[in-house]
Amino acid sequence: MANKKQPAMSRALVRRETTSGYLFLLPSLVFFVGFVIIPMVMCVVTSFFDANLNATQSDVFIGFQNYVELFHDPVFHKALINTLIIVVVSVPITCIFSLWVSSAIYNMKGPLLSFFRCVFYLPVVTGSVAVTVVWKWMYNNYYGILNYVGTSTGILDHNINWLGDPKFALGCIILILLTTSVGQPIVLYVSALGNVDTSLVEAAKVDGATNLQVFWKIKWPQMMPTTLYILVITTINSFQCFALIQLLTSGGPNYATETVMYYIYYSAFKLYRLGYGNAMGVILAIFIAVLSAIQFKLAKEK
Amino acid sequence: MKKILAFVLALTMSLALVSCGGSGNGSTPSSNAGNTNGEAAKSLTLWTYPVGEWGKEETVKKLMDDFKAETGIEVKVEYLAYADGDDKVNTALAGKNAPDLILEGPERLVANWGAKGYMVDLADMFDEQDKGEINEAALNACTTENGAVYEYPMVMTAHCMGVNLDAFKEAGADKYLDLENHTWTTEDFKAAMTAMHDHFGTTIGAVYCAGQGGDQGTRALVNNLYGGTFTNPEHTAYTWDDPKNVQALQDLYDMDAIAFDPSLQGADEIALFYNETLKIASCWNIQQQLNPNGADTGAGKTLNGQEIVPMAFPTESGEPKLQGGIWGFGIFDNGDDAKIEAAKTFIKYMCDSAATVDAVKAATFFPVRSNAEGTDLTGVWGDNEVMNEYSKLMPYLGDYYQVTAGWAEARTAWWNMLQEVNSTGNVAGAVENFCGQANAAASK
Repeated sequence: MANKKQPAMSRALVRRETTSGYLFLLPSLVFFVGFVIIPMVMCVVTSFFDANLNATQSDVFIGFQNYVELFHDPVFHKALINTLIIVVVSVPITCIFSLWVSSAIYNMKGPLLSFFRCVFYLPVVTGSVAVTVVWKWMYNNYYGILNYVGTSTGILDHNINWLGDPKFALGCIILILLTTSVGQPIVLYVSALGNVDTSLVEAAKVDGATNLQVFWKIKWPQMMPTTLYILVITTINSFQCFALIQLLTSGGPNYATETVMYYIYYSAFKLYRLGYGNAMGVILAIFIAVLSAIQFKLAKEK
Repeated sequence: MKKILAFVLALTMSLALVSCGGSGNGSTPSSNAGNTNGEAAKSLTLWTYPVGEWGKEETVKKLMDDFKAETGIEVKVEYLAYADGDDKVNTALAGKNAPDLILEGPERLVANWGAKGYMVDLADMFDEQDKGEINEAALNACTTENGAVYEYPMVMTAHCMGVNLDAFKEAGADKYLDLENHTWTTEDFKAAMTAMHDHFGTTIGAVYCAGQGGDQGTRALVNNLYGGTFTNPEHTAYTWDDPKNVQALQDLYDMDAIAFDPSLQGADEIALFYNETLKIASCWNIQQQLNPNGADTGAGKTLNGQEIVPMAFPTESGEPKLQGGIWGFGIFDNGDDAKIEAAKTFIKYMCDSAATVDAVKAATFFPVRSNAEGTDLTGVWGDNEVMNEYSKLMPYLGDYYQVTAGWAEARTAWWNMLQEVNSTGNVAGAVENFCGQANAAASK
């Protein structure tokens, strides 16, 4: 009798637990659907319309016309190239630099380690506007500290208009991006290095492995999940470089710092071409997804 | 299958990160629709850009309290910044959650939101007496081709240049300034720039072009120098490619004293002028004259106390055409008749009643009308020496061309053109290219 009742009680328990599980999930599910899924669907749908925030006109279905226009738009091409340059330059540098710093500091004693973690993490928690204002002052053409130091020491023979010269502007943006991007990877790498199995390291050293061999054969594989996470996050952040451009250069000079994210914003919220902006959003999303998939695949193979 | 699922999930997450809100459809906004039974609304929402002290809570609260005491209508105020105000309004429009009232200029209220069908036509608020009392150019700027009025104008000003008089005196260049009338000729301007550069050996003024902030200054400088125009009088086409403007740009580019600077916007130029790095500013107006750089260090003074004088933009003819600034109220059509009626009561109270004096003074600009329901407004700034002196520039108020179709694109094309002039030196080519882009936008 007891054996017969047992499964029925379990099913009720499972049902109750499932129900309560879904109820716990519900708030975040509502937010996920409302703020992720629905905007995403609207983004794709709107990209096929000539949507323009005009109350006197209905949005007109134009098929792939926005996408066709994108591929003939020289500003979009420039923005895409600039975005890719930012990604290609900033992602490896961020990862390598943060790994290097982490390797140097992870086995330091408590207060010193905390100090370095704070120093590198500070730009992450500082407001992006504040960071940008400081950098804008440092880059200033007339009295910026970079020009001051450069001309005082004889490195520069005249002031350089860092943000106003197409030759330097994108590099200046990447430099700021790097300073605000390395904090989180450093903290993650310090943590990952601390979690490396020390018995394996000691065994390898007993067997005569060099420091480089220990790092490459033992530590690096164990840090791979962290590295993958850092790669994906840094790649997405680099693709989405916007605030710096908006606050510093508005995409100039001569589109030298125009990024896809800024061009999306400009098209959608300055020219009110929501359909066109969303078409760019879809293209950018595909780029990010493909690149992330490649990163996952490569990391898995390793 | 798992790989496909993972890819779709990655795409979903990426898309969610980059997607921007869409309007979905273009139906008429009517989220607040419903109260159409003629019952008077007892509360309103007002969004205000920082038009003088209309951006300061303590000033606006007093005005709103007075209005509530008079009418019983409570007004909730939200303060917008120019940096992101448009985005907030557009987001609200897309979400059908626009405020009842907004304070800004015809460039936004008429040419943008009005033209897109979001604003209430206020034409029935003007009788013949109103039309006689309100500055004709200001009222025209608020009126569309088909007679709809999407802004009830309250205040206006003329944008001008700021000149560091002490620096000019030091260089012996003050002789080129007509300080009585606040004007100078193109020849005088060129001579003054040469004298200033010879004396200081640094950049005296900047043609700033990092973005659209304060861009009216660079347009006015170029247009006035040889009498060019930015648009045709009908506001149907952009005309900055005419030879007069090309000549002006070429002259400015060739001047040692003037730098085309793609790292600066209007606010940056003002800051450099205020700290005496630059000796002239093109992005100047009465608010700057009253409180340079917003630094509260005294009217008409630089950081170190040097004297600033407002000057019209230099012209060959001696008759400058100054870019006007006009500010007033518009009502968003939220489909609620009672709210619209209450909003009209608010506008009437602020723009055409005994209370208009306080509303105008809060804006720190000049009233657009001579009289408001028996209250003489011509002497509203009679007790303010700075305002009185500045008012000499008001007769030079020029065409309000910011209502031309394709304005957003044209504006961007302008500063992009200045950037290209800076990097290539090819004035004619840059002008042709970008003016062409602006006209293409105008003809869409």
